[in-house]
Amino acid sequence: MTKLLWEPPFIQPHRLGEINKFGRMKARDSYVEHIFGVPVTLLKEEFGSPCFVTSETHFRNNLQNLKKAFERRYGDVIHGWSYKTNYISAMCNIAHQEGCYAEVVSAFEYEKARHLGVPGEKIIFNGPNKGKAILERAINDGAHIHLDHLDELNLVDEIASRLNKIVSISLRLNFDTGYTEPWSRFGFNIESGQARQAARLLSASKNLKLTGLHSHIGTFILEPKAYAQQIKIMCKFMREIEAQDDIEIDTIDIGGGLPSKNALQSIYLPPEQVIPPLSEYADAICNTLIEETNYRSQLGRKKPTLIFESGRAAVDDTQALLTSVVGTKRLPDGKRAAILDAGTNLLFTAYWYNHQVQMTRPADGPLADTALYGPLCMNIDVVRSSIQLPPLEYGDTLVINPVGAYNNTQWMQFIEYRPNVVLVHEDNTYSVIREREDLQVMCQQDRLPAHLVTSFIDSKSEAKSK
Amino acid sequence: MKKKSKLKLGNGSRCERLHQLAISETGFIFDPQTGQSFTVNQTGLFVLDGFKKGQNTDFVSHNLSEACSVPIELAQSSVEAFIMQLERYL
Amino acid sequence: MKDWRTATIAITGVNARAENPGPGCAVARCIREHGEFKGKIIGLGYDALDAGLYARDLCDQSFLLPYPSSGEDALLERIKDIGTIEPIDAIIPCLDSEMQSFSRLKKSLSKNNISLFIPSRDQFNLRAKNNLFALCKEIGVRVPETKTVTDPTFFDRCADEGWGYPLIVKGIYYDAIIVYSAFDAHMAFSKLIGTWGYPCIVQKLVQGDELNLAGVGDGNGHLLSPVMMRKRAVTDKGKAWAGVSVVDKSLERLAAKLVNKLAWQGPLEVEVIKAPDGKIYLIEINPRFPSWIYLSHAVGRNLPVALLKTMCGEKVLELAPPSSGTFFIRHAQELIVQLQEFESMMVLGGTRQAPILKNTDAESA
Repeated sequence: MTKLLWEPPFIQPHRLGEINKFGRMKARDSYVEHIFGVPVTLLKEEFGSPCFVTSETHFRNNLQNLKKAFERRYGDVIHGWSYKTNYISAMCNIAHQEGCYAEVVSAFEYEKARHLGVPGEKIIFNGPNKGKAILERAINDGAHIHLDHLDELNLVDEIASRLNKIVSISLRLNFDTGYTEPWSRFGFNIESGQARQAARLLSASKNLKLTGLHSHIGTFILEPKAYAQQIKIMCKFMREIEAQDDIEIDTIDIGGGLPSKNALQSIYLPPEQVIPPLSEYADAICNTLIEETNYRSQLGRKKPTLIFESGRAAVDDTQALLTSVVGTKRLPDGKRAAILDAGTNLLFTAYWYNHQVQMTRPADGPLADTALYGPLCMNIDVVRSSIQLPPLEYGDTLVINPVGAYNNTQWMQFIEYRPNVVLVHEDNTYSVIREREDLQVMCQQDRLPAHLVTSFIDSKSEAKSK
Repeated sequence: MKKKSKLKLGNGSRCERLHQLAISETGFIFDPQTGQSFTVNQTGLFVLDGFKKGQNTDFVSHNLSEACSVPIELAQSSVEAFIMQLERYL
Repeated sequence: MKDWRTATIAITGVNARAENPGPGCAVARCIREHGEFKGKIIGLGYDALDAGLYARDLCDQSFLLPYPSSGEDALLERIKDIGTIEPIDAIIPCLDSEMQSFSRLKKSLSKNNISLFIPSRDQFNLRAKNNLFALCKEIGVRVPETKTVTDPTFFDRCADEGWGYPLIVKGIYYDAIIVYSAFDAHMAFSKLIGTWGYPCIVQKLVQGDELNLAGVGDGNGHLLSPVMMRKRAVTDKGKAWAGVSVVDKSLERLAAKLVNKLAWQGPLEVEVIKAPDGKIYLIEINPRFPSWIYLSHAVGRNLPVALLKTMCGEKVLELAPPSSGTFFIRHAQELIVQLQEFESMMVLGGTRQAPILKNTDAESA
């Protein structure tokens, strides 16, 4: 008699609707033994679990492909590396080595870019909260400042006049493209006349000079035509203000929002079926911009430089998260569940993506609906609420991907240390690019007032130890 | 789900209720009394089979621990939990 | 596929809930009832309660498929597995949501000697709701005035902008809701955005008769074997409950124009409204046969068989001349399913080799 595979005996009533043994089936043998060419076992042994593993080759390829797609079609193009998507220093420097500017949205990001050696003229400074001190530095450095609101306009004007400088400025715009939910809280609205007002004020200013227009229509945009519409609206606005005031626009910044091959929870079909290829976006964007600025060549004027700020599309699939099973259970409704050592503390994007989860050994037993939970004592710490997996065991290693966008920046330090981030270099060697946190890191910003230096005041044992 | 009959924990008397169930070797179970169907895993099937033969909890647990090479305490506590599930559904 | 007469044809969409049945059972019935067909039919479903899986008069065997959300790799693997039990010569996909997967699998399936005759991804996308307007404008086909909406305050001021109620609010992929007030519209908007994402499509309601045309595009710009139907009664989901065959030259011309423009390959359904002034407005193009396709067999223009013949390169389709006046009334009836069949579907995901239950009490109970 063959040995019976151990699992606690279990009975589960059938519920009607969605009864389909093969419904969430996965292609067979979908386990991996390597992450970006490095054996999983080696990574786990050397860097512990969990850990992030990143590919330099992938990242460089993605950056080159993006740049090429736009350059080939339009020519004068700048890619601003969106720091907020992944600002681990090594990642930023890979992007800069590939020719990307730094696209930053806060004082911290600005300082980080400068710290990494990025010159001011290669920094695009966005964001709604810039602050006086950092604006002054940015102006002195010659960074490209994108204004978000009128108070900021006044602040920059004041600094510029105090420093007696002429500062080139871009305006962030918002408007309804008819494709995406308008992000009307950022920048100046076109339909209500705010953008015209700002342009007028800039044109009247002695120290500020409006030279660029910027907008960002949203995130994970699945319809290339949305960008075409965005560019049409921006160019129409450009021609209006150029005709009316003494303004010459030399950069059009279309923001980011290009999708990655990740599965949004709200979209039914798998990503490879719903995400258009990069070429469709590049066609829509570049063809429209060429069409809309053709008039310039007749006037003997230069085309505006196209700036794009893609983060997700460049970095998402260049990183995977290695994690381990620390416990398994059956939920009262019969569903299988496993607890992992990485949860939404490290994988913030699990709140909106259904990340792919791969086994690192062949399946031993049939696939079944399984919930994957993280290590936090929070009910919402769910990595996947439902995924078909074989029976998991304590100590099993899983690989979650793609995770490269927004996790190394939005991860939170809640009850756990943040883990190592490893980079696999182009020559297949690898190194840590961000060390795991430890108690010292966690405590170093704490300050104890004199009366709080000891924990238990009347403890005898403590008195003794002194 | 309505409980139409209480599955008694006492050994032996649960036999009758279990005998009413149509149990397939695939793990498909149909309860003719309520019209409800179930899926049971392979170890559950092993335990049900024992019960239907009139074996008591200790005996079934012992067999299960042997068949799966797991400690008797683990088998025994799991079988007891399984009986609680059966009582909930049958 | 060499000869459709002896081939094994797999058909998806055999779900048959009375208020909104999939087309699969009707397609199977057309093929089954054609005098020359001696092959096998395999029903492919997505839920153990899809009635067609158990319809022994229509399907020789039935199997469950992975949901379209599982992607094409899982689908291919499942189809290969089914092929080891029952080799398949051709598949007729009948649901919108699976078209992407099948069109991406065309080559792989062909390597496994399985034929498909379906539109390409480009053709599929061009007829999508959000592209239809531009396409129609290009070839001079009327569509009800359409607008994409991302800002729901539109519904409060739309009447002033010439968009009086009632209006139709549509999700970007599926679903359409008729709204009679701003309140309704806001509800419909949040529901559709929540389900299908941005944007919503708002369309003016055109009053008139609902006419539908089913046909097959040969991939070279020709519309084969059009069959037209006017809805005479609809379910509360707007699906045909009763209809009658009609011959409408203007509808046929419109469909031929679309098929020609798109070089459409495969089955399609064209839905239009004919206004009292005789003008035709295109509502939708569906990339598959409709649920009412059995009417095509009844009027002597069996479309599923015409599709199979086209796939085999046969030029003579032996169609009856177009005719009007044949009615259909859709009705529901109970299909009897044995416990063993249901068990097999649940446990094995198919009808093959149903295991026998050990206990016979079940039958006597």
